Amino acid sequence: MTNSVHDMGGMHGFGPIPREDNEPVFHEPWEGRVLGLMMTTGAHLKGNIDNTRSQSEMLPPATYLSLAYYERWFLRLERVCKEKGLVSADDLATLWAGQDIAEDLVAEPIAPDDMRRMFANGRSYNRQLNTSALFTVGETVCAKNMNPKGHTRLPRYARGKIGVVTAEHGGQIFPDTNATFSGEGPERLYTVRFQATDLWGPNANPKDTVFIDLWEPYLEAADTAS
Amino acid sequence: MPHDSHDHDHTEPPSDLALRVKALETALTRKGYVDPAAVDAVVDTFETKVGPRNGAAVVAKAWTDPEFKQRLLDDASAACTELGFSGQQGEQLKAVENTDDVHNMVVCTLCSCYPWPVLGLPPSWYKSHAYRSRAVIEPRAVLEEFGVSIPEDKEVRVWDSTAELRYLVLPARPADTDDLSEEALAELVTRDAMIGTGVVQA
Repeated sequence: MTNSVHDMGGMHGFGPIPREDNEPVFHEPWEGRVLGLMMTTGAHLKGNIDNTRSQSEMLPPATYLSLAYYERWFLRLERVCKEKGLVSADDLATLWAGQDIAEDLVAEPIAPDDMRRMFANGRSYNRQLNTSALFTVGETVCAKNMNPKGHTRLPRYARGKIGVVTAEHGGQIFPDTNATFSGEGPERLYTVRFQATDLWGPNANPKDTVFIDLWEPYLEAADTAS
Repeated sequence: MPHDSHDHDHTEPPSDLALRVKALETALTRKGYVDPAAVDAVVDTFETKVGPRNGAAVVAKAWTDPEFKQRLLDDASAACTELGFSGQQGEQLKAVENTDDVHNMVVCTLCSCYPWPVLGLPPSWYKSHAYRSRAVIEPRAVLEEFGVSIPEDKEVRVWDSTAELRYLVLPARPADTDDLSEEALAELVTRDAMIGTGVVQA
């Protein structure tokens, strides 16, 4: 969901940055299990990173803000595992009651070594494009004023703002379509530099800049004469 | 909480999340969707294999080997892979260099994107609503909270990780460290310096 509370850039009121000395990787063992379960169930859930992000963004804003980070991940994972039929509500209820359920192997899990290999290899988000770039490095562009109801990675604070292309990264999977499983729809990705004063007004330091990675459909030519 | 059935009191999930996570893991294991040893492998990877020491080794090498530094700035993924650091959430790394004129800092305003192979999992503050909201609109105030003062006439450059590029700040090498080995230099490099909310001090 586009205009939801996850799109936080520029919001006020969240207070000082909460820092913790000597923070452990996981505060509780279950947090590590949640991350591990997310990564090991990937092939069975047939999800993708954009859909996963989109699922979090669809939480009601008050819920999104109130859940702890791994709690949000876990509730999403549990829901998706139920929706896709990997686990049943009855089985979970039995386990919650402290009883066990019978083994009934219907799938092949990823092995530890394959898991390590998958992590080390990473994924490729790059896709070949047969079109030529609409924008060139150094060109002044405008981030579109758009408010789609679906997933997007164009932050609200940049919409309608003028910036300069500083890099071009070729074709990459387009989150807006990938999130709904309607195709990778690769589009060209650019890095765009915005002046802080253009984003935030005269109180910003005129020296300061914000660089944002934006896909071509988020951008339009700017009227540099204006 | 909604009930699916009034016949089972136990259809309410346990309030203890640890029990609820355990139940999901067990259910997935009994069906063959998950091998708990593979979950262990993920936990072990983040607790012992990837983390800011990897990034610190990259930074120290860049400080001592100008050719490596150039390769890092040209193609950070390839340069980090030379040192054995690659993988998920680091497929497209970009290193941004702090100089006399520019201070870089990294945020993900939309979620929590972070360069796992070189920095591990992000600290809680990086994922906090406060950091995500404030880093782009008042980076200097955020830096002050971290004890970093940037002169008014020096550019603060904020990188918002909205796509699948992941950013690593190459901090400035502190003065008077000419006699330090690469290993000793790596010891000085902090996680926060590689996010851009810290500077490296000798």
